[in-house]
Amino acid sequence: MGLKRISLRSAALILIAAVIAVSIPAQQSEPRALKIVTEFQNKLNLEGLDITNTFNLVQKKPGEADRVLQIKVYRRDAADMFTLIFQYPPSEKGKGYFREGDNLYLYLPTTREFVYRNRKDDVGSTDVRTDTFGRLELEKQYALSYDGQTTIASWECDVIGLKARQLDVSFPIQKWFVRRSDGLPVKVENYSASGTLLRTVYYIQYQSVGNGKEIFTKLLSMDNLQPGQKTYITNEGISASKIENYVFSKAYLEQQSR
Amino acid sequence: MIHFITLAFKNIFRQKKRSLTLGVNYSFVTFVLVLLLAFSTGATRNIRNNLIRASAGHITITGQYVKEGRVYLGIPETSKVVELAKNALGNAEILARYQVRSAMYYKGLSKMLLFVGIDTIRDTGYRDQMTFLAGSWDRFVGDPNGVLLPKDIASYYGLELGDETVLSTRSRFGAFNTGILKVEGIYTTNNFFANGAVLTHFDFLRRLDLSGSNTSSTLYVYLKHPNNVDEKRNQLMSVLKANGFQVSRPTNDAEAISVISSASTKYQVDESGNDRVELRVATINEVLGIVRSVLKAVNAVGAVITAIMLFIIAISIFINLRMTINERLREIGTMRAIGMESGGVTLLFVFENIILSLLFTAVGVVAAVGVSLLFRYLIVLPSAGNLGLFLDMGHFVLIPTIGGIALVVAITTLSTALFAFFPARKGGKITPVEALNKVF
Repeated sequence: MGLKRISLRSAALILIAAVIAVSIPAQQSEPRALKIVTEFQNKLNLEGLDITNTFNLVQKKPGEADRVLQIKVYRRDAADMFTLIFQYPPSEKGKGYFREGDNLYLYLPTTREFVYRNRKDDVGSTDVRTDTFGRLELEKQYALSYDGQTTIASWECDVIGLKARQLDVSFPIQKWFVRRSDGLPVKVENYSASGTLLRTVYYIQYQSVGNGKEIFTKLLSMDNLQPGQKTYITNEGISASKIENYVFSKAYLEQQSR
Repeated sequence: MIHFITLAFKNIFRQKKRSLTLGVNYSFVTFVLVLLLAFSTGATRNIRNNLIRASAGHITITGQYVKEGRVYLGIPETSKVVELAKNALGNAEILARYQVRSAMYYKGLSKMLLFVGIDTIRDTGYRDQMTFLAGSWDRFVGDPNGVLLPKDIASYYGLELGDETVLSTRSRFGAFNTGILKVEGIYTTNNFFANGAVLTHFDFLRRLDLSGSNTSSTLYVYLKHPNNVDEKRNQLMSVLKANGFQVSRPTNDAEAISVISSASTKYQVDESGNDRVELRVATINEVLGIVRSVLKAVNAVGAVITAIMLFIIAISIFINLRMTINERLREIGTMRAIGMESGGVTLLFVFENIILSLLFTAVGVVAAVGVSLLFRYLIVLPSAGNLGLFLDMGHFVLIPTIGGIALVVAITTLSTALFAFFPARKGGKITPVEALNKVF
């Protein structure tokens, strides 16, 4: 009985993976879903603005003390670049990421070397990925579908399904829950290639930074494989002042670590 | 000459206490040296055998490939490489494995583990080394989602037979993928290199990693006659190169070790603009290079200790001979008076020391061989921890070789002859008159 159940499950997994690998590139986005995604990306992608802010991450794991990280972020969405510098705890200080387009580099001050990473690398072993801090290009990476409506907390939301066009994204299947009142996402479910729910992200609060642009100020990321493990992010010290070009370079990361 | 030797042999027993004191030194030096060489030989052979039974072939092939500017670990055209290797090496057996480093989740616990995917029909090397505490090999073979866990890992999670766990890993392309494994066996093994292996089916890991059906992580080549491995590797490299693969051999010990330890995803950009497959072909001798370096260091320490002990023996021989010559002046005078040449007296004393050395060296050899056999066949040690590296089925592998024993005997005998010669020559040079004058 057990063997039969596992075999069926195995067959289902193969089927899902095969469907993703073979059929997704041919999929087109549904216009309604594309419109919703384009609208919130226009608000969340901060082209024309340089954004400086500080993220405080508190990671909670059952049975362990809370882990706190503080990260300074310099972001220039127009050039698809960001620089992340760890400021706390002292053991992580000087470590940082530099993203330029699809290339993400992790700087390790202990060995003074840059390591090429997948652009969706997790930040400091938390449940938060580096792509959380950068420009969204969901319509390029995923085929979008409109999956209906639902209520999250007290908000009426549209549900957008995402299926990866290529497997170089962290989560090949996603569901975005977009608030109908202001068109901003409030919840995101991330699934593995075989359809297992891995992570749920709640966008709790946004702040306007001008020109109709929004940036989240409170975010909760929950690990669905390890119940009870979650990371809470607050975004402080948001500034839209011009950032010097040299900040978006590997050299700046090296300099900051000294 | 035979009279000299007979006389020298008898003389050893004239001062039993003194001979015994010096002899114990010889025995101890021999004992230590023979054991050291036995350890060195045993460790090399044991590590080699255990590695081959767990995670290395006589020749091991790993690789990476560049596709559209991204570098991925693995061998993408496995069946072609296997076919070429068979053509190049005749009747060699070639096994493909898939390795993935993944987090395993169970009841709130998670841990990164190295999963080894095997072809359960052909790749049965692990099976023959496992003692199952629960489940069986057949259960594992019968379940494509089955996993065999080492006892320690099963204990960490609290997993039992039939439990299901979740794997979550970032695949080679970057996308996360998950799978469910069912525990079909919990095992222990005395093989240090097989001890932590979490075994799954090859196809399960390949699918988890979202890779093509013709991709593997590593190819192990097992030769029917594993002699001239370097030459056979060169043949293989030539054939692979002629068929469009970029082929290299490890340039240092670290690269050789990485051949048998590579796993999982690699994020790297390649700006050359050429899609290609790069294969690294290492022999078991190269993989063992780092082990040999360590053993050479151990042997060097042993050589220093031996040199110090031989120096102590040299001083003992010198003092011993001086005392002996003084005590036997009447005898020297008499021998010289009846016509024995100076060289004859010298030879007699040198022979006495060589025979003493040979006798007690033999005792040392017997003791060392005895201890080696005791450890190898009777005493069973726990294989947990780093000691397990030197154990075969719980037995400490010490292999005294005839060459090693002959070397030790030669060193002690030659150094004895050398150290005894100079004081003996001084004794031999004493004239009969001088000798008898000192006595009477």
